[in-house]
Amino acid sequence: MKIRHAHILTREVLPFLASLLALVALALLFDALLHLLNAVWVGRYLGIPGVLLIVGSFGYSLRKRKLIHAGKPVDLLRLHERMAWAGSLLVLVHAGIHFNAILAWLAVWAMLINVASGLTGKFLLQRARRRLEAARDAMRRQGLSAEELEDSTYWDTLAFDVVKQWRAVHFPIALAFGVLALAHIAAVFWHWGWK
Amino acid sequence: MKRGWVLALVGANLVAIIALVFAYPHLMISPGSLIPAHAALAENCSSCHAPFRGVPPAKCVSCHAVADIGIRTTNGAAIADASSRPAFHQALITQACLSCHTEHPGASPATREPLFSHDLLNETMRNQCSSCHVPPVDALHADKSAKCATCHTQGGWKPATFDHDRFFPLIGPHKATCATCHTKSDFSTYTCFSCHEHEPGRVQAKHLEEGIRNIDNCVSCHRKGGAEGEGEEGNDD
Repeated sequence: MKIRHAHILTREVLPFLASLLALVALALLFDALLHLLNAVWVGRYLGIPGVLLIVGSFGYSLRKRKLIHAGKPVDLLRLHERMAWAGSLLVLVHAGIHFNAILAWLAVWAMLINVASGLTGKFLLQRARRRLEAARDAMRRQGLSAEELEDSTYWDTLAFDVVKQWRAVHFPIALAFGVLALAHIAAVFWHWGWK
Repeated sequence: MKRGWVLALVGANLVAIIALVFAYPHLMISPGSLIPAHAALAENCSSCHAPFRGVPPAKCVSCHAVADIGIRTTNGAAIADASSRPAFHQALITQACLSCHTEHPGASPATREPLFSHDLLNETMRNQCSSCHVPPVDALHADKSAKCATCHTQGGWKPATFDHDRFFPLIGPHKATCATCHTKSDFSTYTCFSCHEHEPGRVQAKHLEEGIRNIDNCVSCHRKGGAEGEGEEGNDD
């Protein structure tokens, strides 16, 4: 029993926490670096690549809803995780420029909740994936190719109840973040002098 | 159905937040409080901001006539201490108010992209450093006639570079510490007599043989530090 608990801690809980903590720690590190180099203003412009990365990560969401058909869902999911994480990191450094606007901060908090939700989803997917290992072995014995096996497991994983429930929560969070971020961007475009 | 309610709740909150943006822009989207002089404009962003153009200088000069800046207030009253701070806005080649002015101090100077350039000033004003800058009060900067550009550039006070070779090359036996010649940290003067090689009595006697009595400013003749004078003729007054 103790071994199983240790397994859950090292294989599931710690990686989840590490991703979240690494995001915050790296953001603080970059922010400190910009302060050290007397280049805090650079952070203002990091919001742009950050948003582009996050928008790019939506390719997976579109594929999942079959709005696009290009790309393997498994690969797009990995891309979604990495791009959204990196984009969030840049946006966090951008937020570190110490603006006071409430709207911008609401957007940042929505983003952080979104990241935490995304990592939770990743955690749930991985658990569901492991539970499917037995079924996967059975399919392998039936003679499915590695590629067919990967796709099959992906869609089966999504079919798990807990994952479906999580998706029902993740979408409104992503929607809230999207609307708040869009409102912040619109406000900046409206008032900022772009040269 | 349950999911629909969640979405409706999230949507309603978002609509409320967006409504707050329009009702309280100074809290929701302003990067910080305005300076006290502009505090009355806090809730009227369009007083200064133009859509997609930021704060065009035309908005500023509609209240702050360039000809009056530093001389008269926006109400037309004369500024009492105008003489202590020379009016230089009239010497600006282009109007780029935000290059220097931050009206929302919430966005602290450290977070601002450095936009000011001396090129915004006309050439005459550009070279009158002390119109805007107060020189440090120390022995090194005591000589008010010295040109700032000898050591400093208009790109920044630091790094300051001084080409010592232009005045006296520090080579051979003259590769000494600063304090050897510039005693008491006074870089505006120097002495050659800190070194036993240049014992005053011996140096004086040697120069008298040539009829040179004034040996206060060695470098005026010994520009490169050689035994024979390479500079202008020695002053034999």
